Amino acid sequence: MIIDVITLLLTSPILQRALLASVLVAIIAATTGTFMVFRGLSFLTAGVAHAALGGVALALFLQATGIVPWFDPVLGAVIFAVFVAVMTAYAGERGIAQKMEVAVGVSFALSMSIAVLLMYYLPPTRIPIIWGYLVGDILLLDNLDIVMLLGVAFSLVILFILFKKEFVYVSIDMEGSKAHGMNARGYNYLLLIFAAIAIALTIKAVGAILVYAILIAPAAASNEVMKTVNNVIIGTFIIALIAMILGLSGSFIIFASPSAIAGIIAAVSYIIALQVKRYKRSK
Amino acid sequence: MATTPLIEAENLAVKYPEGDLALFDVTFSIDSTTFMAIIGPNGSGKTTLLKAMLGLLKPTDGFIRVLGFDAKREYKMIRKMVRYVPQRDQIKATVPMKVKDIVLMGRLLKKPPLRVASGKDVQIAKDALRRVDLENLWNHPFPELSGGQRQRVLVARALATEGQIMMLDEPLSGADHDSQVLIVEALQEYYNENQVNIIMVTHDLNPIHTLVKDVLMLNRTVMGIGHPCAVMDLELLRQVYGPSAKIVELAGHKYCITGDSGFDHHDH
Ligand SMILES: Nc1ncnc2c1ncn2[C@@H]1O[C@H](COP(=O)(O)OP(=O)(O)O)[C@@H](O)[C@H]1O
Ligand SMILES: [Mg+2]
Repeated sequence: MIIDVITLLLTSPILQRALLASVLVAIIAATTGTFMVFRGLSFLTAGVAHAALGGVALALFLQATGIVPWFDPVLGAVIFAVFVAVMTAYAGERGIAQKMEVAVGVSFALSMSIAVLLMYYLPPTRIPIIWGYLVGDILLLDNLDIVMLLGVAFSLVILFILFKKEFVYVSIDMEGSKAHGMNARGYNYLLLIFAAIAIALTIKAVGAILVYAILIAPAAASNEVMKTVNNVIIGTFIIALIAMILGLSGSFIIFASPSAIAGIIAAVSYIIALQVKRYKRSK
Repeated sequence: MATTPLIEAENLAVKYPEGDLALFDVTFSIDSTTFMAIIGPNGSGKTTLLKAMLGLLKPTDGFIRVLGFDAKREYKMIRKMVRYVPQRDQIKATVPMKVKDIVLMGRLLKKPPLRVASGKDVQIAKDALRRVDLENLWNHPFPELSGGQRQRVLVARALATEGQIMMLDEPLSGADHDSQVLIVEALQEYYNENQVNIIMVTHDLNPIHTLVKDVLMLNRTVMGIGHPCAVMDLELLRQVYGPSAKIVELAGHKYCITGDSGFDHHDH
């Protein structure tokens, strides 16, 4: 059985793409997911993912009605995602953390309402596309999807090599970073905008519903047990990659969606991490 | 030629987007070099005033200058000179930082990106940590420290950083007695050895009364300014802290019972 799966992986372009996408999603989890957990903004990930869905629906509507025929769903997803991230950052700047949650919640609700509303005006043949973004399917990614994921994952790696310290400083002490003369505001927006783009591109692979499980749960797990920033990043990458690969191979053994299995594994990893931490403490 | 004042505020007013006028009609001037305390009850605008000095909050009226630089327009120049210890609730413990990462942070924030610590940076950071008696926790996880230890690490960060103005927002709050003593001693020693201005926000003057040169008493506006003796006036204390404020003289010390923060006292 295992041999069959491996042979299949090596020969099928669909699976090759899925495998590469798994690695790329793990990179996105290790960078974006980790820092969303550091920032205490994990809820933003879910908000951005669902907002992206509204963007997909709007793009499909503009395409189908011929208003803006070239409007690709991915473009809609990215625009909505970035908009929500920027709004949230802005609300955060104006004070009070609760406002950020409200900002995310409201844009979440608004985007989903737009998505559901527009579904009634879309030709029935287009509806499955929205469902595709909602639940995701790593086996349906085409070459362009992979190129875009590759681009965003690569950009994130470069950004983190250059500015990891800045992102860390913004996460632990925004005020102090500004006071010492760092452009904390700029780095904050840079981080959130790239995170939003990454999340928007990830939803086609893992689904808006499961983005939280796959990008955040591994980071939360890793952050419970690891003791340095670099180790949290590496740990997140490994957990997310294992979850994605097991999800992919598992989907052939039990007939189920790869991201659903990956989501369950990622969530379980967090529960295990809590147990490990408790065990270490009691020792 | 008259020297430029450390802080010069005129008719300063600051209002939060959501709310109340946190400061109004703030006019005062403090000469450099000084160890200055900003005191006042909770919500009196102490933190707001520090943030206005840093250009983190813009005045709705008037202006505030730091060593001649306008905080609204020339905040970049001011921030180059500043080492800042924010109120402790501002520091998030969700990131697994080591103590050394925090102490080095102030120095690295003043460098361009990549911000690599040199051997000299490490040396200075270790020296700063020794001043607050925590050199053996260099590699210790910051989030696992007690409240008092965290405050000491943050003070060490300020000691290790470059810049002629040190601003500390309630560095003694949440710290145990021993940590408070260590912090005060470290600041005193550093102040005596270096040409540095220290501006410390506190709601309890007691632990630093012997150090302080200037006191600014705030309650949304300037209630008193001057040498600690001038500010420790019964009428004034009652005006700011309410009718239960008292001054008691005991064994040559003047004690203030404000009801807000327990005892404030200073040598008479
Ligand atoms: N982000 C904010 N938004 C609205 N009002 C605020 C904010 N921060 C502080 N305030 C208000 O401004 C006043 C002064 O606050 P602050 O400067 O923090 O006082 P202190 O540091 O002396 O305790 C308080 O009434 C407080 O409620
Ligand atoms: Mg305050």
